[in-house]
Amino acid sequence: MDTIIILYTGAFGLIFIGIAGIVLSRHLVRIIFAIGLLEAGANLLLLLATWRDGASAPIIVGGRVPALMADPVPQALVLTAIVIGVGILALALSLALRVQHAWGTLDMRAIRLRLEEEIDDAAGIEPPTSADAPAPRPTAPATREGGA
Amino acid sequence: MQRFTSALFLLGLGVLIAAIFRNMDLAASTPIVGDAINAAAAQQVGAANFVTSVVLGYRGFDTLMELTILFTAATAGGLVLGKPRGDARPDPEAGLVLRAGADLFFPLLLVVGLYIILHGHLTPGGGFQGGVILAVAFFLPLLARPGTPMSHRAVSLIEGLAGASFIVIGLLAMPEGQAFLTPLLDKGQLGSLLSAGSLPLLYIAVGLKVGSELAGLLAQLAATEASD
Amino acid sequence: MNELVLMVALPLLTAFLLPVIDRLSSLAARWIGPLVLLLTAIIGLSAWSQTGSGAITIELGNFRPPLGIDLYVDQLALLFALAVTLGTLLLWPAEGEQRLRQSTLALLLAGSGSGLALSGDLFNIYVLYELIAVVSYGLAASRGTAAGQAATLRYLIVSAFGAALALAGIALVYQATGTLNLAQLAQLAPTQLNNGQGLAAFVLMLVGFGVKAELFPVNTWVPEVYATAPARVAGLLAGVVSKLALLIIVRLLILLFPQPEALTVMLVLGILGVLTGELAAWRARDFNRMLAFSSIGQLGIMFIAFSIPGKAGVFAGLAVALHHLVVKPALFLLAQRWGGSLEHLAGVAKGSPLAAALFILLALSLIGVPPLPGFWAKLLVMIHLLEQQSSLYALGAWIIMAGAALEANYLFRVASSFYRREAAATPPAAHRTGDLAGASLLGAALAAAVFLIVPLADRIEAMAGQAADRDHYIQTVNPEPLP
Repeated sequence: MDTIIILYTGAFGLIFIGIAGIVLSRHLVRIIFAIGLLEAGANLLLLLATWRDGASAPIIVGGRVPALMADPVPQALVLTAIVIGVGILALALSLALRVQHAWGTLDMRAIRLRLEEEIDDAAGIEPPTSADAPAPRPTAPATREGGA
Repeated sequence: MQRFTSALFLLGLGVLIAAIFRNMDLAASTPIVGDAINAAAAQQVGAANFVTSVVLGYRGFDTLMELTILFTAATAGGLVLGKPRGDARPDPEAGLVLRAGADLFFPLLLVVGLYIILHGHLTPGGGFQGGVILAVAFFLPLLARPGTPMSHRAVSLIEGLAGASFIVIGLLAMPEGQAFLTPLLDKGQLGSLLSAGSLPLLYIAVGLKVGSELAGLLAQLAATEASD
Repeated sequence: MNELVLMVALPLLTAFLLPVIDRLSSLAARWIGPLVLLLTAIIGLSAWSQTGSGAITIELGNFRPPLGIDLYVDQLALLFALAVTLGTLLLWPAEGEQRLRQSTLALLLAGSGSGLALSGDLFNIYVLYELIAVVSYGLAASRGTAAGQAATLRYLIVSAFGAALALAGIALVYQATGTLNLAQLAQLAPTQLNNGQGLAAFVLMLVGFGVKAELFPVNTWVPEVYATAPARVAGLLAGVVSKLALLIIVRLLILLFPQPEALTVMLVLGILGVLTGELAAWRARDFNRMLAFSSIGQLGIMFIAFSIPGKAGVFAGLAVALHHLVVKPALFLLAQRWGGSLEHLAGVAKGSPLAAALFILLALSLIGVPPLPGFWAKLLVMIHLLEQQSSLYALGAWIIMAGAALEANYLFRVASSFYRREAAATPPAAHRTGDLAGASLLGAALAAAVFLIVPLADRIEAMAGQAADRDHYIQTVNPEPLP
């Protein structure tokens, strides 16, 4: 019972670090790594879902069937989830590379402001005067918070 | 002020996660589906590695979609990165250690990757793990000699055909009234290399697909970096 | 019925082979995508009548559920599978020099969207959702501008964050039940998910899948992506993909989460979505972002509607969703040429009277002016909201009213500027025939619906009844009892 509490603490801890990293970081690469941590936490949670102490791998070697086998389903699911994560990571890094080439920054706040400007420019809207603030945007915590 | 809001956010997040944690019944429920699969897989699918039975048999549809995600990521990555500029000057050749290492490891990695793919239905490993090793085998020479580009034509040909053959093997069961992705061929002797019906074929397709996809992605990223 | 799986498999197969086909003949590569989608649409349509009497399951790999993955085909699922296929066909996003890659992505969108609508397995839904997410990243960035790539990157971060949360929610469900099959989960839900852990799992999945459904706190990407992506892609995302994500959430809500708190969470987030979306749309000064914010508001209305318990909620929500499914892509087709500042649109009615008339028809329906279908959809939502005898639901009804007033204000402002005497200095170019034809087709469908409103409502009600019937779902899939 104690082991499982430690394992769960690890999973929830990774999720905590991941979310905190996504929300509080400003550097793009850190945010991308934080997403990886969050995914790792979710994967660990999935593996722990039907974890049983002392169960052996669900593989038959030499015709011997183990008495207590681990649940093969989460293992297959996590394999899938990891591969998905890799694909998205590669795409995120490609996008980051292009943005860095074009705008020379990886700072999320700078990117957001620049993006806003470019959209206004492309639409042919003059920058708002100080009396008339830009249109209100429903901001998620993921983008509003700045910090280290 | 900013530090204060950050601390407040962390506190709230911590409380939220702790609440979920406390609400959980940590005594896990019995894996009803997993146990049923463990009991039936040897007879229904015929692979000694039950995880493989799940990956390619019971949840083969998931695996197909997962391959498609890799393919999509590579396609989208190509769309984003575009063609590397022609005037790009590649990095200089790597030192002796890396070059000799790459030459030495290339055949070894190839053999290990293929071995892991072919034994995916018997031992831990399979198409994904082996495919990654294959991708490394083809990417390593690129690190050692950045000037010699990978053949993109070959890569895209392999990835297209490997992915298509997974679907075609799945479709082959359908004219006989069976469902998509039904395992074909004789199940054979449990635990021998030629067993588990069409599963090893699927894993070869997966391995080639994953290998070509990842190698292509890595090469594309490297080429874009070089054109910087 | 097995052949329905071709709606997923054929587009994927074609997408895999497209680079190879292109090497053989570039003409074939250009036409095979639309042709395959036409074929899969015919396959879907031919199964339509069979699903009227009762749903069907397809057991993939010939494994009985819950061991294997199954596809669940009822009229609602089939309708959305058809909608994504036909929508992709109508808004075929391939143009310019990256045509091949864009066609590949469009095919993948149709295949994965059909799969998402039909899937009957919780983890498979997650995988398909991620697939459609990756496809949409590719399409959103396909213009190749730095702004488009930055917007896509910000979208990707929100979306990956949401997907990881959804995965954690799935882990919580699996931990409580030991199964992933939706029918078996529906059997176990009243005893094993009707607790705090179940609610946590629902909220995690709501936020996760809500990213694409433009749910309130995770919709920051919407205006940025819709303003920088090609308008056809924006139309696909706002019109079709958002409804698919919504369909998933509604399915999960009906089958897995019986607790009333789940409905309240959805209601509150929906109200906030309507408020923020319509207010921001009112203040927007360019066409694309106005449409984007208005789409957030409309999806908020859908969330409010689906939070009404029972069949009534599904019926009302479905009516709004189907209406928006027709209207929003048409508006984005018009935005193909009209994107940009609203001031540039002054006096365009003289140059393109048909487009201006279409815009007014669509806008009127969006606001909910009788006798257009949008009016009946909103009326249905209002009636059922006020029936609930609860102050929160009544608040929802008032917010929808206020949102409609705002919508009327900003849409009329735009429409009246079309007919201003003095034209803008740089009037937008005329619409291409393809865009205008697509928008006209959707507008004609909307107009025809005015005369068919009673039979349509009957159909939708039957569909909603079928979808809201948990027992029918469980009996149709009939998962094998496990110890």
